[in-house]
Amino acid sequence: MINPFVKNVKSFSIYLISWIFVFLLHTSILYSVIDLSLKACLADSFIFNSIFFILGLSFWYSTKFISFEVFSTIKIVTNHITAAFFASGIWLLAGYWILSGFFEGDRIYLNFLFDSLVWRFFIGMFYYFIIVALIYIIIYYGNFQEKVLKEAELKSLIKEAELKSLKYQINPHFIFNSLNSISALTLTQPELAREMTINLSSFLRKTLSSNEVQKSTLSEELNSAKLYLDIEKIRFGDKFTYTEKINEECKDLKVPSMILQPIFENAIKHGVYESIEPVNIHFKCEGQLEYMKMTITNNFDEEAVPHKGEGIGMSNIQSRLRMIYNQDNLLKFSKKDGIFTVNIFIPIDN
Amino acid sequence: MNKAKVLIVDDEKLARDIIKKYLESNTEIEMIGECTNGFEGIKAINDMKPDIIFLDIQMPKLTGFEMIELLDHQPEIIFSTAYDQYAIKAFEVNATDYLLKPFSLERFNEALNKAVEKVKQNIIDTKSYTELIKSVTKEAGSLERVVVKNNQKITIIPIDKINFLEAQDDYVMIHSALGKHLKKQTMKYYEDNLDGEIFFRVHRSYIVNINAVKQMDLFEKESYKITMNDGSKIPVSRSGYGKIKELLK
Repeated sequence: MINPFVKNVKSFSIYLISWIFVFLLHTSILYSVIDLSLKACLADSFIFNSIFFILGLSFWYSTKFISFEVFSTIKIVTNHITAAFFASGIWLLAGYWILSGFFEGDRIYLNFLFDSLVWRFFIGMFYYFIIVALIYIIIYYGNFQEKVLKEAELKSLIKEAELKSLKYQINPHFIFNSLNSISALTLTQPELAREMTINLSSFLRKTLSSNEVQKSTLSEELNSAKLYLDIEKIRFGDKFTYTEKINEECKDLKVPSMILQPIFENAIKHGVYESIEPVNIHFKCEGQLEYMKMTITNNFDEEAVPHKGEGIGMSNIQSRLRMIYNQDNLLKFSKKDGIFTVNIFIPIDN
Repeated sequence: MNKAKVLIVDDEKLARDIIKKYLESNTEIEMIGECTNGFEGIKAINDMKPDIIFLDIQMPKLTGFEMIELLDHQPEIIFSTAYDQYAIKAFEVNATDYLLKPFSLERFNEALNKAVEKVKQNIIDTKSYTELIKSVTKEAGSLERVVVKNNQKITIIPIDKINFLEAQDDYVMIHSALGKHLKKQTMKYYEDNLDGEIFFRVHRSYIVNINAVKQMDLFEKESYKITMNDGSKIPVSRSGYGKIKELLK
């Protein structure tokens, strides 16, 4: 932090104007209450106030080190009383020295000056405390603002971190099983092995680079989700089929990237992995008034005992949608008659 | 001597393909079949009595672990899995070997030779076999389901369907919504591996699912009895009473 009084033109002007006001007040009081010449009043006021104007600027440096967090109250009070004592003393010495030289022959003024030293001393202390109090207020207000700012920053950081962790995480089993399939294909069908390597690479690249709040059109998103399905298709062959029905109005609408892939993965995991019968995954998309409705259905083996952790993937997507769109209930899923259905509603922004 | 008979159990065709390919050049063994899931596996193993099996862990319906619990015949087992090292550590000691997918021909042969060697020496170590089953299930955290086989019928019992377990000599009788099933296992095993927040050993011979308990009554002086939702009555030991009295209030 820098000295708030000289931080910028505005704050310096306020400081200066305050002192000009004090100067005017000082002059008028001297002139009206004490019988002095206007010249003496002006000079007295100008010299004393100018000195304090300069002294006041230096109080910042002492005050900023005597903070409430570090020192006890008693120590702070003692420190400031001592500082006020010296500041006031210096102020009077300097003022007295300059003015007594200036008004050397003026007995009336010199008498007044000498007599006034006592009450001036208390005024000096008073000025000191006013300025120090002001500095404390400025420091704490500044800290408070900084804290608010930091808090907001922190909140957005947390949100970002949460999104990151909610983002799809690559399942290592999937990778190793895919690599094993590739390894097998190199012996029997090298062309297919190459194709699968390319698909896997594109998929990994997409997954690793996609940013948590990034959106892409449904067509793009489907393309990357299908990379995943293509890989699983090579692994599982006839054990699953994929069908889709996408209305024209949906294709160019924006969806959060990597939102479909985890749902397809879920369908594969709980449908294909756990079933001996073939599984069909169907994707449907239709535009509604304010939402685009995407529906993913798959049949599954009702006898398969659910594993732990089921539903975690779904609630992750739920949270991600909530963070991106600030709306609840954008994801719904249900199990009925051996069919697992997921509905996602994407708000259409105009 | 006869060639060692080998069977593959894996739900992915390509995973079976590579094992078959690797086996082609080996003259000490004979490929006798391949199975695409645990049910087929049990049947084939019990019928054909292979000497060595290559077994995947993650398969539909029955996992590889659950499958070996239900075998009558005990072959040498080589796990082939994409599971990471941590999960594998537990049975490293007990299984003949394990292969982490994808694996090289050298690594494959090393595992196979080890198994062939064991078959030749005709070592069937029942102890290590039960140890294996114990250790693999332990690693996965608390049990999610229990598989049982009565005659030829395999039943998968989700643990929340289990009402209570009753000790019967070397066996445990599992009383569940799916009926009564006898399984060769110890009470200690279930006490250790069932979810400790739901299942309580209330007596030396009984473990109950707290959610299936209807009420607990004073039976005789200082002796209690539990009535289950299905009407069964279960004695409660003094220490068993201490475990569940708070939960039933």
